[in-house]
Amino acid sequence: MKTLFASAAILLVAAMTHAEEAPAPAATLPEGLKWQTNWDDPPIGDPEHAIKGGTLRDAISSYPKTFRVIGPNSNEMWANWRRNYTEFSGLVGRHPNTDNYIPALAVEWAITDDNKSVYYRLDPTATWSDGKPITADDFVFGYQTALNPGILDPFVNQYTGDVLESVEKIDTHTIKVTGRQPSWRVLEDLGIFPLPAHVMKIEPGWEVATNYHVPVTAGPYTIGESKEGESVTLVRNPNWWGYKNKYYAGLYNADKIVVRVVPEDDRVYDFFKRGELDFIQVNRARRWATEMDIDIFKRGYAARKMLFTDTPDGMSGIGMNLNTPILKNKDFRKALQYMFNFEELNTQLMFNAYFRKVSAFDGTEFANPDLKPYGFDPRKAREHLQKAGFTQRGADGILVNKAGQRASVTLMTGGKSLEAHLNIVQNTYKKAGIELKIQSLEGATYFEKIREKASEAFMLSMTGGFYPEPFQYFNSTQAKEPQTNNFFAFSNPRADELIDIYRFDMDKQKRLDAMHELDAMIQDEAFYIPFWNAPFIRFAYYRWIEFPADYFPKRTESYLDYPTYWINEQKKADIEAAMKENRVLAADPVIEVDPHGVKPK
Amino acid sequence: MWTWFRISPLLRRRIARFCQIRRGFYSLIILSLAIFVSLFSNYIANNRAIIVKYNGEYYFPTYKFMAMEVFGQEDEWGFTDAETDYVRLKKEWEGTENWVMMPLIPFNPSQNDFDFYKDKDEQPIPPPHPPDDRHLLGTDSQGRDVAARLLYGFRLSIFFALMLTLCGYVIGVVIGSLQGFLAGWFDLTTQRFIEIWSLLPVLYVVILLRTVVEPTFWTLLAVMLIFEWMGITYYMRTEVYREKTREYALAARAAGASTFRIVFKHLLPNCLTPLITFGPFAIIAGISALTSLDYLGYGLPPPTPSWGELIEQSMDSSNRGKLWLVLSPFVALTFTLILVTMIGESIREAFDPRRQSRYD
Repeated sequence: MKTLFASAAILLVAAMTHAEEAPAPAATLPEGLKWQTNWDDPPIGDPEHAIKGGTLRDAISSYPKTFRVIGPNSNEMWANWRRNYTEFSGLVGRHPNTDNYIPALAVEWAITDDNKSVYYRLDPTATWSDGKPITADDFVFGYQTALNPGILDPFVNQYTGDVLESVEKIDTHTIKVTGRQPSWRVLEDLGIFPLPAHVMKIEPGWEVATNYHVPVTAGPYTIGESKEGESVTLVRNPNWWGYKNKYYAGLYNADKIVVRVVPEDDRVYDFFKRGELDFIQVNRARRWATEMDIDIFKRGYAARKMLFTDTPDGMSGIGMNLNTPILKNKDFRKALQYMFNFEELNTQLMFNAYFRKVSAFDGTEFANPDLKPYGFDPRKAREHLQKAGFTQRGADGILVNKAGQRASVTLMTGGKSLEAHLNIVQNTYKKAGIELKIQSLEGATYFEKIREKASEAFMLSMTGGFYPEPFQYFNSTQAKEPQTNNFFAFSNPRADELIDIYRFDMDKQKRLDAMHELDAMIQDEAFYIPFWNAPFIRFAYYRWIEFPADYFPKRTESYLDYPTYWINEQKKADIEAAMKENRVLAADPVIEVDPHGVKPK
Repeated sequence: MWTWFRISPLLRRRIARFCQIRRGFYSLIILSLAIFVSLFSNYIANNRAIIVKYNGEYYFPTYKFMAMEVFGQEDEWGFTDAETDYVRLKKEWEGTENWVMMPLIPFNPSQNDFDFYKDKDEQPIPPPHPPDDRHLLGTDSQGRDVAARLLYGFRLSIFFALMLTLCGYVIGVVIGSLQGFLAGWFDLTTQRFIEIWSLLPVLYVVILLRTVVEPTFWTLLAVMLIFEWMGITYYMRTEVYREKTREYALAARAAGASTFRIVFKHLLPNCLTPLITFGPFAIIAGISALTSLDYLGYGLPPPTPSWGELIEQSMDSSNRGKLWLVLSPFVALTFTLILVTMIGESIREAFDPRRQSRYD
């Protein structure tokens, strides 16, 4: 449900208009720059215990449509493997446990006083996978390529043009990146990546000609053998430059990663059970709850963990269009809040696997920590319904007010994934005399309609970033326009003020306070019924895969994000021998782990 | 009006022949009975009582919302204006003068039966639940009674198919007969139109429409009807073409009968064979189409009880091994289709012109 409209948030950013191209001056390093770096945080992973070597057998649901790092089809499923294992394109990273900036391709950076430009000193030891050094020219080339219509990716073209004003070379290992607007999160905003200027040429037909060429990349792995439709093998570069960086020394341990194409989730689990895959992430609550009490775990060959993590989670739940006559009434909205029975859904349909969401900025520091969810409380719902004037039941059992208006709302959805849940919500509302009609449309039509604000209530499912985007969802200028992401048609002068503080104020505490106030206001206005989130990753592995004490870092969304694991070949031989002889080993009884202390209460 | 369709000796012979073919005859009886019974689904599977006797008065709440206050009931939150819980009422009134008569299946097809199933630690067991005394065919993955959904689903699909066939026939017969009788430019243009129109794949068009609007029973029927009428025109057209040159038709025309009268009074009764023989198969097509649409998720909106939706649930990998979910809609669908097929086969046999014909 989370990825449905992944691109919606970014689209809006991209919709801002281009300004004139500024002519590139001959750049020099100004005096008085405050260079920053950070070598004080703990390493990611466990470089002391990690063993390099071995092969990990992994699965992907479809064969990559391209190996290219840019251009058509380069943003599909395979991109998750490519970005995390082979590309390594960031200048500055964010530490997934401490949230501090850490060096990546740049070892030092300096932000100008106007918060518009950043100077980066590149790691002089960094090299491409073909051994050539990564220089400032590669970044300038990367920027020019991102603007080049020849890459056939208008979205990247537009986004780059909208956000970046210029990328300039100062010397071989120093660059200056300038954004269009000043920003307190300038390091985040100015996304830029290098491309190998010495091998890459964008010319007509390049996208077909280089579809399955092994790209020259900066990361620890390159593509080794690939069998079309069957598998792709990633091969580790033992002399990768990044291992000298303390943060990455403990990551990327397996010598080889064989990514096998297995189209169906059920088949992935079957292969794992048979020992043909070493590691799987389990996304289905039903599987986790009912299908995993099997021999490989009981006999101690494999183990499974539910690791609590803390990652940003966009809004998901029921939204209300405040232009709808009946939904203009705040008491009616509150009644809808109090009649939403999360506990029942969680126990009856979701194996108690999930946690109730409260905030509109869930999983970020901007979520107001004092908010409590509206619990299921028919009494309070009743009080609010009465205040809203709904005191009498009509002949069909639905409440009506004095004006003869029925307590009826239509909920628009864009897919069937929550059909069962919504049927139950509908039945619960009906008991209180509220009619919830469910109108299910095809995804694109539904999204267009809710952006037009041509719906009453609607299902919401947005992705969230480390920094929330309240402007597009809650700003009043967006409320009146059709085709904006303020689906709620919410407009409030105080909210606008708070959003502007968050966007432009350089004082971090002020920004936090503003967002917390906004969060509380959104809850009080009751136009968004938050559903639930899954603040964990669930995975199963054969026990020759070993992990650091905290398994994966706190900010892990997928096991691909930070490959902290390593393969213990000695243990693998032992366990495989035991499996052959049907010998029982000591099982690992611990399933829930919370090393980061982030399990919701 | 009735004299138009008075039973000719030939038809009587054919009906007699049909009754002789046991499998068809009994199938017809069973199916008619099932359809008749399904009309009363609300009295067979419902959470509302059939009759309530309270303080000497009788209440019939099947089609009516009755609040708890009517019967002095109160829900767990202390409210009395919610809908009466008749099952609980029945228990509460045990041993008193008041009584409640519940339907055979005391659940309506979209009711979630959640609070009953608990494990030994009092923790709720999530649905689907296998068949037991409470739910004879088990529950689906939302805790809804499968038997109730089958019953309402049957009513819905059979009436959908019957309406579709009937309306399609009315349009198809009128157009087909006129094509055959008027011939000339009318026949030419209509026939070309039908040829082109029938090339559109019905299900795809319905699926496409589904992306824009959400169908109801009537809109879905209307959309399917746009394509349904064409099949029968071919047969009516040829039949009328043949019949209109016969002497009785010429005689009617010579006597000055109007086109309408000639076509519908004189020709139509003699062209009924294709109508009747194709009818059952058209019904089968209607049931199958609705079931496939529901299965694909493009049919009637949830929570409409439908067989296709049940089959879809059983195909979901998380319901693997839940046999009651697969078997109930499968058996019901197969059984219904076999019944209709047998009726169709028998009619076809009874109307076989090689056995008895008007013209020798």
